[in-house]
Amino acid sequence: MEIYLALIPIFPLLGFLILSLTGFRLSQKANAIVGAGSVGISALLTIIQGIAFLSSPTEDGAISVRLWEWMNAGGFSAEISLKMDALSLIFCFVITFVGFLIHIYSIEFMKNDDGFARFFAYMNLFVSSMLILVLADNLVLLYLGWEGVGLCSYLLIGFWYKEPANGDAARKAFIITRIGDTAMLLGLFLLFISFGTLNIDQLMTQAPLIWEKGSMMPVLAAALLLGGALGKSAQLPLQTWLPDAMAGPSPVSALIHAATMVTAGVYLIARSHVLFMLAPVVQTAVAIIGALTLLIAGFSALAQHDLKRILAYSTISQIGYMFLALGIGAWSAGIFHFMIHAFFKALLFLAAGAVIAVLDEEHDIIKMGGLRRKLPAIFITFLIGSASLSALPLITAGFYSKDQILWFAWSSENGSLWLWLAGIVGAFLTSLYTFRMVFITFFGETGTEPTHKPGKFMMIPITILAVLSILGGFIELPESWAHLQLFSHSLNKVFPTISLSHKGIPEIFFQILSAVVAMSGIYIAWLIYLKKLKPAESPSFDRIGHFFYKGWGFDKLYDFVIVKPVVWFSEIDKKDFIDSFFTGITSVTFMFNRILSLLQNGKLRWYVTAVAIGIAFILTVMINL
Amino acid sequence: MILAYLILILIAGGLIAWLAGKWNKELPRFIALFALFTDLFLTVMIYLQYSNSDTNDWMLVYSASWIPHFGISLYLALDGLSILMLLLTFILGIISVLISWKEIDEHTGFFHFNILWILSGITGVFLSLDLFLFYFFWELMLIPMYFLISIWGHTNRIYASYKFFIYTQASGLIMFLAILVLYFIHGKNTGVYTFSYPELIGTTMSPATAILLMLGFLVAFLVKLPVVPLHNWLPDAHTEAPTAGSLILAGLLLKTGAYGLLRFVIPIFPEASVTFAPFGMLLGVIGILYGAKLAFAQTDLKRLVAYTSVSHMGFVILGVYAFNELAYQGVVMQMIAHAISTGALFILVGQLQERIHTRDINRMGGLWKQVPVMGAIGLIFSMASLGLPGLGNFVAEFLTLMGTFKANVLMTCLASLGLVGATLYSLRILQKVFYGKERTVHVIKDLSLRERMIAGVLIVAIVYLGLLPQQIFNTAKPALAKSLNSINNQSSGGKNEKSGTYNFVPEPVSTNQ
Amino acid sequence: MNQADFSYLVPFIIIAGAPILMMLIITLTKNFRILYGLSLGAMILAFISLFFTGNSIPHHVSSLLVLDQFSVVFMMVIILASLLVTLLSYNYLQYQESEKGEYLIVLFVAVLGSIILVSATHFISFFLGIETLSIALFILIAYRKIHSHAIEAGVKYFVLASVSSAFLLFGMGLIYANTGEMQFEKIAIALHSSGFSTPVLLAGFGMMLVGLGFKLALVPFHTWTPDVYQGAPAPVTAFIATISKGAVMAFLLRFLYELDAIGNKKVILIITIISVLSMFTGNFLALRQQNIKRILAYSSIANLGYLLVTLLTGSDLGIQAAAFYLISYIITTLAAFGVIGLLSGKDYEAENLTDYKGLFWKRPWVVVVFTLALLSLAGIPITSGFMAKFYIVFAGVNANLWLLVVSLILNSVIGLYYYLRIITTLFTPANALKFPVISIPGQLVLFITATGILWLGIFPQWFFELFSGFSGF
Repeated sequence: MEIYLALIPIFPLLGFLILSLTGFRLSQKANAIVGAGSVGISALLTIIQGIAFLSSPTEDGAISVRLWEWMNAGGFSAEISLKMDALSLIFCFVITFVGFLIHIYSIEFMKNDDGFARFFAYMNLFVSSMLILVLADNLVLLYLGWEGVGLCSYLLIGFWYKEPANGDAARKAFIITRIGDTAMLLGLFLLFISFGTLNIDQLMTQAPLIWEKGSMMPVLAAALLLGGALGKSAQLPLQTWLPDAMAGPSPVSALIHAATMVTAGVYLIARSHVLFMLAPVVQTAVAIIGALTLLIAGFSALAQHDLKRILAYSTISQIGYMFLALGIGAWSAGIFHFMIHAFFKALLFLAAGAVIAVLDEEHDIIKMGGLRRKLPAIFITFLIGSASLSALPLITAGFYSKDQILWFAWSSENGSLWLWLAGIVGAFLTSLYTFRMVFITFFGETGTEPTHKPGKFMMIPITILAVLSILGGFIELPESWAHLQLFSHSLNKVFPTISLSHKGIPEIFFQILSAVVAMSGIYIAWLIYLKKLKPAESPSFDRIGHFFYKGWGFDKLYDFVIVKPVVWFSEIDKKDFIDSFFTGITSVTFMFNRILSLLQNGKLRWYVTAVAIGIAFILTVMINL
Repeated sequence: MILAYLILILIAGGLIAWLAGKWNKELPRFIALFALFTDLFLTVMIYLQYSNSDTNDWMLVYSASWIPHFGISLYLALDGLSILMLLLTFILGIISVLISWKEIDEHTGFFHFNILWILSGITGVFLSLDLFLFYFFWELMLIPMYFLISIWGHTNRIYASYKFFIYTQASGLIMFLAILVLYFIHGKNTGVYTFSYPELIGTTMSPATAILLMLGFLVAFLVKLPVVPLHNWLPDAHTEAPTAGSLILAGLLLKTGAYGLLRFVIPIFPEASVTFAPFGMLLGVIGILYGAKLAFAQTDLKRLVAYTSVSHMGFVILGVYAFNELAYQGVVMQMIAHAISTGALFILVGQLQERIHTRDINRMGGLWKQVPVMGAIGLIFSMASLGLPGLGNFVAEFLTLMGTFKANVLMTCLASLGLVGATLYSLRILQKVFYGKERTVHVIKDLSLRERMIAGVLIVAIVYLGLLPQQIFNTAKPALAKSLNSINNQSSGGKNEKSGTYNFVPEPVSTNQ
Repeated sequence: MNQADFSYLVPFIIIAGAPILMMLIITLTKNFRILYGLSLGAMILAFISLFFTGNSIPHHVSSLLVLDQFSVVFMMVIILASLLVTLLSYNYLQYQESEKGEYLIVLFVAVLGSIILVSATHFISFFLGIETLSIALFILIAYRKIHSHAIEAGVKYFVLASVSSAFLLFGMGLIYANTGEMQFEKIAIALHSSGFSTPVLLAGFGMMLVGLGFKLALVPFHTWTPDVYQGAPAPVTAFIATISKGAVMAFLLRFLYELDAIGNKKVILIITIISVLSMFTGNFLALRQQNIKRILAYSSIANLGYLLVTLLTGSDLGIQAAAFYLISYIITTLAAFGVIGLLSGKDYEAENLTDYKGLFWKRPWVVVVFTLALLSLAGIPITSGFMAKFYIVFAGVNANLWLLVVSLILNSVIGLYYYLRIITTLFTPANALKFPVISIPGQLVLFITATGILWLGIFPQWFFELFSGFSGF
């Protein structure tokens, strides 16, 4: 049975190999079958594996398979071996299942593209890497997947390579995440030096035995790992690459930059939660970073008018929620939000992609409008996604996942009023920017006319995701309502249960409050953007709007503080100043040559003078010295 | 005897190829290939026979008298480290012949003579256990390499070839001086005047002398490696050399420096090496960062790749002075992986230059459309160069850094910034060459079957190293343990113990193998 | 002088008798081939006769000459080298219209001077040898009397050689005045009792050093070298560079060792300074030179500088190193000048670097020999120069002559530049220049020297063992 586990990442890898080696010879249909089929098989295997796993749980709550010994040198050993527990299972499910839907969607989305085979090859490689990331039983293998998805992200952002801006965006993404990854690598070293292993299970069992809670080592280790997580998950201060990453095709944005890769940081923190619990300072930092990020990204989303950029900022913001959850120890809540977010954000991206495609690459929502009538199917699904994102109470999955985080932000031991406040303000912002997007795009006067309607390859995945965005929430209902916690229950072998410090106010109060906030956000969006009840056009408001639009000036800041100096630094010494030292030696040598050549002029009297000097010298030494 | 044959085959092959070149242009290629394949075959056979023996001993020893007057002998021996280097030598040798199949069409006889003689010198360096012999081979490879650059190189070849030759010769002479002093010290201590490495290894001398002599050795090795600030010959030589030359320079010649450090400097001067370690590591860090910085700034693609070597080799010296097996395994892996990844990039640059007649990246762009296979290869090896896991360089850099982390945290942190630097320059290659708008007017052809096969071999190799490196570790382990022992012994015990530790090194005896 | 002494003088007699015989023959016939064959035969004969002296050496022939292992080896080398020069001269003489035979006669005289020099143990024999050599050389240098360069070179050599002879004579006189002896052994004994105490004695030594410095072209007495090297025909230049300098160097070794002058701090100081100056000056001057003969002239200045290191070691190892270095240097230089001479035509000396452009692609074998010679001069492995330099450094390190060893190494590096410059020229794309066909004697020379360079470079053991007998005199 275990061997099937290995097949889950292997099938997409095979798909990648087939597509990259022979893809240019195969027909588009064959490419599509290989590309989507391999992920489909993986999804199927994951589901089979998941059912088997849930129906007959193993002793330690995990199954594992060892493939081969990767490295064993100097006391360090790492294996290529996979391990699946409930946490990995959830990630695997999202990766393969949502991934499969997105692959299906891509068949139509990419159908006229030159790089059809290349696209599917990259996508397959991505799925495979991502699966390795979440199934790895040691941190090195995890790092392999981690960098692998980074590579795929790079390749897919820059997929349309002819546009230099796309390449720049891809490069930016790679470099920024790489900075985080380097920190993470150092974290790995630190862990190895301390424990002599990088096997995750061993680390997590040994860490509490050896390290004291709150001492320096776990703080350092957790902080370094956090560095990696911040880069990958586009959290403050490494968030700037994600909006630019929208240069990639929409399915890429849906799969990599919304549903899966960007949540790798969430996975990493959840996976190494033992370490973070040993380092309360860092854990609190995670919460604070999450809170800040969700606010900053929320404001930025409000000011964007590129459809995909809105969604990108929204993704940053939603991952901020997940970080917030992890930071307060609400582990399963964070993971739950990850899954639900994967559904509705993939849905939104796919729908947005469809809109953009039928409008002939029109990204600007200001130029859209009234699409509700032209594209009803898209409108309805997009609306469902938006509702879920805005956490529309009761009916949407997003409500259940976000509500849980907000409640824990207040009630858990690590929670606080401030964190909760950030979350609730964020929730308001979320519904505001979401419905700003909905109202401008689908309501009002008709803008750009759609050229065609999306076909069934696009619509079926969108529809399935829409269903999941509604129903997905019902597997985990708030405690105050019902006793249905399928999701967190399945994770209880992975995570410790969250301890609440009852602060007197009942949960239902918060739920009502957040519901009101979400609704009011929508209402205000309706007032402003549909009813055009805009506040007075003041210059200061525009300036703030521009500030938000530019992502709070982070790009400018980094450009000024890092990029420009680096470029300047690389320019100043292009020719390598050390070289001039050696050139100098050569020049001095040649100078001697010139001076001596002057004496060697062929004139006998000069020669005799030289001889005379020589004689004088020898006699002086001989007689007088 | 088989060890001597490995060298002789190349020497003879070179001469025959040269002579054959008078008759036929194609013949030298086949002769060179034949000689190299024979050597490869022999090495593989030796490897298969001895790879599983767990002893710390030499796998094969050959010794014959050469100049007994001075205690100089033809003392060759092979252990895991040498055999890995030999395999690398012959494989890269074959590739360098194949890659020149179309590029070199004038004076093929003399060209292959030079290739084979360089390789024979390198083979000799990897096998010699007599310091005089070692120096002899060390110098022997320079002249043919000089010819390779100065005859078949690019525009600025003469300057580059002088620079290469004078740098390496100067540093080699300093090492030679150190070898002689060591010889006399040992002779005066024991009454036995010999250049034999196992004998010289236990030489006792005052710490100050040891430091001076070690620096003498170091200069030669650090120039070859190369380490900033002794690296200036490299960008010129690599850039101006023909593709095969760049391949051999980056893939093999640089490795002789690393090999020298592991084989000679550490075991002969353990105390001095420990003293020098912080500086060594610092040099490594400087090399990594400065090399990366310069690579990033270049606009000549070949020069860019050349500077990446400086950066990558920084990891080698960093690891060597970490003194633990982890780092040493990383170093060995780096030697091999860098040979393949950088070699492949040089090949790629050569192929590009052949097609679009420029190396200036500002005149390239958008090539992906026309030459997707080249693009894919460029991608793979750029990724290898920036240390993507799954490819050989990652294993190397990961182990090196982890080993270094044990020894010196600060240096490791600084060195790992090099990974970000590597990202910058590697992506720059892709960005400037393959991404962006198309700039070439000509229709250019993608890789031919021959070129694809070469690339295929290299790709398989780099992935193999990345995913299944264990075989390499096992092979190198005993040899590395020897180097490490000398360090551990000196830090743990007195000098008396030390002479006992080297028992596993046999006396030079003639064998008929 | 008795019967036995006479048998030891056979080589001298052959070398001295051959020109007399040739003079007689010239009166009968002007057939060049006969004369040429005769001179080759005489040299071979003299060479063979040296083997028969090997039984009971060392042997003193009166107080003037000695035949010991050192002198016999050097006489062999000199005669062998003369043979090669004679072979080389064929090419040069075939363009010469008249007085071909006379050239050979003068050559023999020069050889005679050289072999006397290496076996001299007395001021008289020494001076006799060196003057015979110098005067013969003066004639040979100016032999192409229609060339102004040759005349100029001859005059310069004559003037400066006379000055140097004067100094030698004066120096010897002073030493004699002080010790009352002219035989080295006895001077040594006299010195042993009194030491280098009196200024007169010291001045005498100093003046002798000046005179010898001239012959060896050491800085600052080197100034004549480039002009003479350039002006003289290539075979003659080869003679000056190899045989003449080799003989004088051999003499110097014997003289200084026998007198134990190396123990004197002042002598050490002077030789050290001269050595270092010679190395640097020679190499610096050669750097950008365009005339190959001049380059080789400068190179020879530097090489003699290296050789002086062996003197200063003051050990047997030094003598052995010097012997090996000299032999290697002689073979190498003969190869280099051989190539130059053989490529020269009737009115044309192949001496400009540009003439050699791309020669490799037209005359690969000639260039292989030339390259080997240049690499040997640069001290690169598989050539004799490498082993020779190794030997000197070896002896130098053993004697802790750090300044000299380091400057030798520095200079090896500087020297590389101009050797490489020539080699690079040889291998650049070809130019259109036509070169003459190389005669069979010429090919023989190239073959022999190339073999020698490689042999000494790869299997030097035999020579090392041979020279290990050189210990004291």
